[in-house]
Amino acid sequence: MKKQNTQKKYVPELSQKEIDELSNSIKTSSQKIVAETIKRMKESDKNRPKTMKYFDEMADLFGKREKEIIEAKKSGKKIIGYLCLFAPIELILAADAIPVRINSGWYDATKIGDRVVPVEVCPVIRSTIGAKMVSLSPFLENSDAIISVLTCDAMTKLGEILTDYTPIWQMTIPRIKDSDQALRLWIEEIKSIKKEIEKLTGNKITRKKLRRAIELTQKATKAFRRLQQLRKGNPVIMGRDAMLAIQTYIWDDVERWTKNTNKLCDELEKRVKNKDWSVPPDTPRVLITGTPMFWPDNWKVPSLVEEANPKGVILADEICSSERILNDPVGVDEWSMNDMLNAIGERYLMASTCACFSSTDGNEDRINWLITKIKDHKIDGVIYYVVRGCMLYAMEYTRVKKVLDQLNIPVYYLDTEYTREDVGQMKTRVEAFLEMLTARIDF
Amino acid sequence: MSMETLGNLLQIAVFGGLILAGALVILIWVKDKTKNISTLRLFVQIAFVPLIFLGLLIGPFGLPQNPNLGDAPRERLLGADLLGNQFPDGLSVPILACWYPNGRTVTCSVWQLQAYLFPFWDAGPGFGWGTFYSSNGLERIGITLGLMIAMSLLIGRAFCGWICPFGLYNDLMIRIRKIFKKPHLSFSEKTNKAIGQLRYLIIAAFLILSVILGSQAIVGTQLVGDTAPGEYYYSYFTAPFCQVCPMKPLCILVEVGAGAMNPLEEINHSTGVFYEAGYYVTSLNIIVLGLVTAGALAFRRFWCRICPLGGLTALFSTFYPFKKLALLRLNKIEEKCTKCGICKRVCPTQVTEVYEEKGGDVTVSGCMLCFRCVEMCPYEDCLEVKMARKTVLKSRNWLEPSESE
Repeated sequence: MKKQNTQKKYVPELSQKEIDELSNSIKTSSQKIVAETIKRMKESDKNRPKTMKYFDEMADLFGKREKEIIEAKKSGKKIIGYLCLFAPIELILAADAIPVRINSGWYDATKIGDRVVPVEVCPVIRSTIGAKMVSLSPFLENSDAIISVLTCDAMTKLGEILTDYTPIWQMTIPRIKDSDQALRLWIEEIKSIKKEIEKLTGNKITRKKLRRAIELTQKATKAFRRLQQLRKGNPVIMGRDAMLAIQTYIWDDVERWTKNTNKLCDELEKRVKNKDWSVPPDTPRVLITGTPMFWPDNWKVPSLVEEANPKGVILADEICSSERILNDPVGVDEWSMNDMLNAIGERYLMASTCACFSSTDGNEDRINWLITKIKDHKIDGVIYYVVRGCMLYAMEYTRVKKVLDQLNIPVYYLDTEYTREDVGQMKTRVEAFLEMLTARIDF
Repeated sequence: MSMETLGNLLQIAVFGGLILAGALVILIWVKDKTKNISTLRLFVQIAFVPLIFLGLLIGPFGLPQNPNLGDAPRERLLGADLLGNQFPDGLSVPILACWYPNGRTVTCSVWQLQAYLFPFWDAGPGFGWGTFYSSNGLERIGITLGLMIAMSLLIGRAFCGWICPFGLYNDLMIRIRKIFKKPHLSFSEKTNKAIGQLRYLIIAAFLILSVILGSQAIVGTQLVGDTAPGEYYYSYFTAPFCQVCPMKPLCILVEVGAGAMNPLEEINHSTGVFYEAGYYVTSLNIIVLGLVTAGALAFRRFWCRICPLGGLTALFSTFYPFKKLALLRLNKIEEKCTKCGICKRVCPTQVTEVYEEKGGDVTVSGCMLCFRCVEMCPYEDCLEVKMARKTVLKSRNWLEPSESE
């Protein structure tokens, strides 16, 4: 690791007082919003699964999990943050460190981030910078190192800006994934990250440990797929609940998360037996695709869809803060170190449907994913969600729309910002779309 | 004859029943779905070894060309009387089950093709002790090829993946390498394709060589003595590929194991000539076996990428027009695939088409239908095995067994 320069290259110096003030005000308002969102989730859905209680608890970012992480850190465990899903969390788990994803969802933090980068930049990045500047996120704050994968342009520079605070390990991801040399490069990157992790934690990643870690995440994927299987039939769980449950994986303890997700599935399976649906089965079934949505603040779209009138229900999504986290397992052929690393490399690079990849067949993988999900979950309409500044997803819209038109699936382009001001206007747009879907179903 | 045949059939039936029962037990007991098909395959491979060498176990044992020890049980062989032809060399099957060990039930087709090719006009004395052909070589080649095509169309290269004893040997080498926790090497895509094409060159070259050497033996200008028909080295020179084939030494092991051969006598019999290291094993056989073993320890299924017999089977099952008729196919559904690359990595012969092709029929000549990719594919229904257009096996979500923890 290079010696950190004490002089900050990007970020303006803030006084401690200012940091505390800003952080406290955002924290207070955010906690209020989280409480309110969860309250609304409970109230608007009388039939909410009881096992969601665990995920509600986990959703409080300044609650139980923060304490656990601080305690783990005191006991000598290392916390390794990551910005994109491409970070190999199996390696982090195998080195007895705790992986947490640190992308920020706080709306107010974007305004602080605006002091460093212009407003045209993707709000996820601005918010993450802002959160770091005022020491807001407990996970970002406690990270001993951050894995930054150079996916989209904004993410590439975000890693650089964060070097002002924390050691950053950058990983180059090839933009073309479908070639031999790309995979070779990526596996080399995985190997070098493995060395970095070993150096930081002081724990050697042995074959046995890595195998255990892989099996741990495989079990999590299994639980996730079980949940997804339940969302294929009539809706037994509201989409935002499922999305929240899935999203807690990125900061929760993997084993505990798996256990609780299985509990949730047990409860839902009982409901399927009793034909106890959370919404009437003829509710329009919606799929969300596009830019990631991060808890706590940026949860307006799921809430809007499922609290609108007429109501929609989210049955599937293709966003990297929800289903894509766990969709693909690491498939190991022989349990040798070499093959495990290859398997991890391939799982992160090749299975991904991120828009940052380019291919001559037009990101066919993402299209195939969408078509499969639409067929499996019997989707009636797709909401293409893009935050302003996310160019890659915005540019792929026409491609996706053409394919969905052929399938006769209506798609709605919903662009927004990290702000609460447009909620009313978005509500009108979403309701119009859902009304159209309802009309199509009735017809 | 009828009583004995009945007895043999009964033995085969009992054996088949045991295999089915074993397969059932494996399917029920192997919980790990990523090992389910592999374990079943290993079991089938092992179960087929005694079945293939059944001829060694039934009837009086005899050594070839040694009348004092009694005749070979020709009349007990499965193909003894086929289509009205005396066909004493056993059924032609596209697996490396060597003709040379006495008493084989089935025979490698490559040997038959070479041996019958020249002189094709002749009926008359056969190659083994006390055998006689009632039909001429062309007819016999017709039967051989017909059987081969029929079998290739039936299950194609699943013979290589599931039945061939030399495939089992290659798999055992993989298992030995796994014990030492060593990673395997891989050929580059280009090299692997080139090796796949080399198979056809090899088979063509050896068939031509068989004609040349056979004609020399018959016409009279002999390179080596004792190579005229009926003479000591005749069967060596009409089947040149078999003199380099790595399977032959292993067949001796089976033969010795079954008690049908006295190994000490073999060693005494050795004359020390370059092409004769043992009774019917040449030194080339042993050298090639050594090389292939070393290769199989480094690369997965090393021999199967270059095997000319596998090439022939592929020729009759994956190329036009046989492609349309072949029954056992591997199918891919494009939409379900996320291109995660697992199928490409786990393939023991490094077939890339399953990964690269958009969808539809992905059975290619390099694929030996071991279904490791189907087993490992984590997406439900993405890869499917079709038998006569009916799906018999599908990729399952191997993470799925929904046991609540």
